[in-house]
Amino acid sequence: MVENGEQIRSPVIRKKSPLMESNSQNMASLISPRFKSAAAMAGWDEEALLLAALIVEDTPDRDSKQKKRLVLSSKSPLSNSSRKRRALRNPQPIVLDLDEEETSKKDSGKKKREKKNCVGEESKVGEKELTKKGSDVDSNSSGLPCMDKLREELSCAICLEICFEPSTTPCGHSFCRKCLKSAADKCGKKCPKCRQLISNGRSCTVNTVLWNTIQLLFPQEIEARKVAASAINNRQAVQNPIPETTFYTSTRNRSLQPYPYSRGMNSRRNEAVTTQDEEDAALARRLQREIDRENNNRRTSALSSIVRARSRRGVSNQDEDAAFALRLQRNEFMQAFRNSSQEPSSSSSSTLLAGPNLRAMATRAMNLRNRDRRV
Amino acid sequence: MISGGGGGRSSSSSWAPTTSVSASGKRIQREMVELNNDPPPHCSAGPKGDNLYHWIATIIGTPGTPYQGGIFFLDIIFPTDYPFMPPQVVFKTRIYHCNVEPDGRVSMGILKDGWSPALTITKVLLAVRSIFTNPDPYNAVVPGIAHLYLGDRAKHDDIAAEWTVRFAK
Repeated sequence: MVENGEQIRSPVIRKKSPLMESNSQNMASLISPRFKSAAAMAGWDEEALLLAALIVEDTPDRDSKQKKRLVLSSKSPLSNSSRKRRALRNPQPIVLDLDEEETSKKDSGKKKREKKNCVGEESKVGEKELTKKGSDVDSNSSGLPCMDKLREELSCAICLEICFEPSTTPCGHSFCRKCLKSAADKCGKKCPKCRQLISNGRSCTVNTVLWNTIQLLFPQEIEARKVAASAINNRQAVQNPIPETTFYTSTRNRSLQPYPYSRGMNSRRNEAVTTQDEEDAALARRLQREIDRENNNRRTSALSSIVRARSRRGVSNQDEDAAFALRLQRNEFMQAFRNSSQEPSSSSSSTLLAGPNLRAMATRAMNLRNRDRRV
Repeated sequence: MISGGGGGRSSSSSWAPTTSVSASGKRIQREMVELNNDPPPHCSAGPKGDNLYHWIATIIGTPGTPYQGGIFFLDIIFPTDYPFMPPQVVFKTRIYHCNVEPDGRVSMGILKDGWSPALTITKVLLAVRSIFTNPDPYNAVVPGIAHLYLGDRAKHDDIAAEWTVRFAK
């Protein structure tokens, strides 16, 4: 039994020694002369280099160049930061396999984290450290030579910024989720990079691994974009409950895209008119009459005072404006509804009339606003 | 009736612009930076004035082609929904080429149906440069030039070189 055990063990040992030899032979080819001189300057002896080379050999081939650097920097007996940086800047090319985009992204992300681990010289484990590393990385990012490469790799080809909530196509290309969505909407459902067809459902899922990696690597930029995104969301939240607001704001400002808004509003109203009844058409006409009348009396003064107050202040607040538009809207409709409940509905009206009437009403309201603004 | 609200795209408001506009502006700015950092060979491009959506570009005629030595100016006009719609590329310098319309508009697949939002101005300029060396007579917009190119290449090249000397130098 004992002999058996030794028999089993001995080939393993025998196997090891030629491996070590080959490693030491490989070392010369693995480590460039420039690196050796740099190492000599840093005060590393042959043994440390050899040890590093051995560990390098154990790692898979593709990673070897980056791993080696990481190992050496961790082996460094000195914690002088400038020296460490010099070692990191050592002019060895970083091998990023561009063909295997996805895997290289993840790999490099992992490597980065490991590297940080060494540089930070902290032995904490777990979530806490992950987040800490995240912030470390960014502060040091300028010093890492592969950061530019990473940035390039992890940026979205559509907006050219770091992928925000990356979504990966079936063909393996990643873009911001929003970018990919608008690309699919506006340019057809094909991958912007390779023109392969993409299905709808897949294009909206976030690649979580990639997204987490990006968040760890570029925390500051992602944070900035998150803030911007939430600002936009808030704005939309303000506008969504009262979509008509956009109409008023667009006419007031003559902003870039007034057409979709106004058309959208009209169609929305027209829809309501057709789905409900002739009664509503009559209501619309009454509403219009109401506005005509109102133009000439008290509400004009009340509203114009608000408008004037706002124009005096110069820059208008969006929320205020939304609230103002809502108030205006509500007033109009309240008036209209009150009247319609009192008066019997005129059955002669047709839905066809409603569209032009509403449009006329809108222009009139707009004219009123313009006049008020001028006052 | 509604038209009162339309028109004026020039007067910008104090409000935050719609997302699509700022997104295209951001992207164009980014492309500008990248173009400055890493300009493509024999090409240059940049905004004409303050307008980020109107660029001017130059391409130097590729050596070994009848366009050799010429400096060709191009106008690039970006649509407001830019990376999702192709830019319009127009030769401002006259050029004898079967894929360039008499008014200068460049006719290329990638500037029409073949556009992809992942394409950049750098890539577009490289593509324009590539039609100097490889005209596409089968998708020509000037059939006469395409015929000559296919039938009598030497004469075509002579005329193209003459135009280059006359207009692009």
